[in-house]
Amino acid sequence: MSPLRSYIVPFVLAVLVHVVVGAALWANWAPDTTSERVIKPRIVKAELLVMQPKAKPAPPKPQPAPPQAKPEVKPPPKKPEPKPVAKKTETPKPDREAQRRAEEAARRAAALERLSDTAFADALLRESEAMSDDEDEQAAMSFIQGIYSLVVANWSRPPSARNDMEAHLVVELVPTGDVVSVTVVKGSGNEAFDRSAMQAVRKAGKFDVPKEPALFEAQFRRFNLMFKPGDLLR
Amino acid sequence: MTEPLSIFALVMNASILVQVVLVLLVLASTASWVMIFQRFFALNGVQKAIDEFEDYFWSGIDLRQLYNELNAADHELSGMETLFVAGFKEYTRLSEQGADAEAVMQGVQRATRVALTREEEQLEQHLPFLATVGSTSPYVGLFGTVWGIMNSFRSLANMTQATLASVAPGISEALIATAMGLFAAIPAVIGYNRFSARVETIMTHYETFNDEFTSILYRVAHTKK
Repeated sequence: MSPLRSYIVPFVLAVLVHVVVGAALWANWAPDTTSERVIKPRIVKAELLVMQPKAKPAPPKPQPAPPQAKPEVKPPPKKPEPKPVAKKTETPKPDREAQRRAEEAARRAAALERLSDTAFADALLRESEAMSDDEDEQAAMSFIQGIYSLVVANWSRPPSARNDMEAHLVVELVPTGDVVSVTVVKGSGNEAFDRSAMQAVRKAGKFDVPKEPALFEAQFRRFNLMFKPGDLLR
Repeated sequence: MTEPLSIFALVMNASILVQVVLVLLVLASTASWVMIFQRFFALNGVQKAIDEFEDYFWSGIDLRQLYNELNAADHELSGMETLFVAGFKEYTRLSEQGADAEAVMQGVQRATRVALTREEEQLEQHLPFLATVGSTSPYVGLFGTVWGIMNSFRSLANMTQATLASVAPGISEALIATAMGLFAAIPAVIGYNRFSARVETIMTHYETFNDEFTSILYRVAHTKK
């Protein structure tokens, strides 16, 4: 009995130690993640932008200012012009005039609202476009990186190549990713280097390209490749 | 995505082997802490009993009276008390049978040596366990980590684009195992070192007392004749 009893207090204490340590871990794990969030500011930003218009249509107004500025100005001058004439012919009736003014204000407000509605829709559209552009860009970036690394892998360094040399190539592909043509648009000044760059592209022969035709047409049918392997030589 | 990678989410998503390793380590850690606390209290009790008994023993009390008191005591005898009882019992038994002083002393020494060994056994209880946890749990944790990292690299092989984000969670999850191993090992090693040092001091204490006690008996046995 007594030897077993001597384990009760130690057991409770041991469990207590582990619970305390576990709780401390749980509580202190959060600060680490704030730095993690910094890595993906893009996603956080996009979410915020979508949330804003949903809450109130007013905020997007300042955004579409340049395109919508003109229509906003136009309607008011039109309306006031006929009205003063009408008012004068009908002679003074203060409450009517006030009514008119109120109506006018209401109409203007409605017009404004319509405007801001379309502006909001516009902003949304642009937003989603920007987002999909962003995604496309990311996808394209990864393909471009893949292509670049393949070119570098196939490149054999001519003895005259120097670190700071760069060649601008124009590469044309077909949708399967096969290289159709390579030309140098702006050379490094060193023939051998330019030739080696072209050779590398030809030797690579076939690249990974996006399956979506739209993205391919936009970015990969014909694209510029800046070949600068300097950082690899260092 | 805004939900951070909590340590518990990581553990939950870990592979089974890593989870098993973690559970093993948590158990080992708990057990070693139980042993640490148990040893701590036990050794403290032993030290207190030693102090009390020595005070009593050197207070000039008659040895036979002390022996009778200890035999009649209802509490369990502590280390030094058992030593004394074992030695004195052997002494009375042999001297009553009329053995000569040399034989009596040999018998007493044998009896106290046996008691001493038993006491040492008791004191060192659980210390081997602490040593085992202290030396093996880092390896167990390392095993879990290596396995987790192996897996996360293997899954990397299927990707064309190797990004840090694709391996980081796996490695982070795997490293928890090493952390856990160290968490179990460090207290165990510290506990082992500390307690074995204390056991050594107590044993020296016992041996000194044993020498003193037998020298008293020796004196008594030889002056009787």
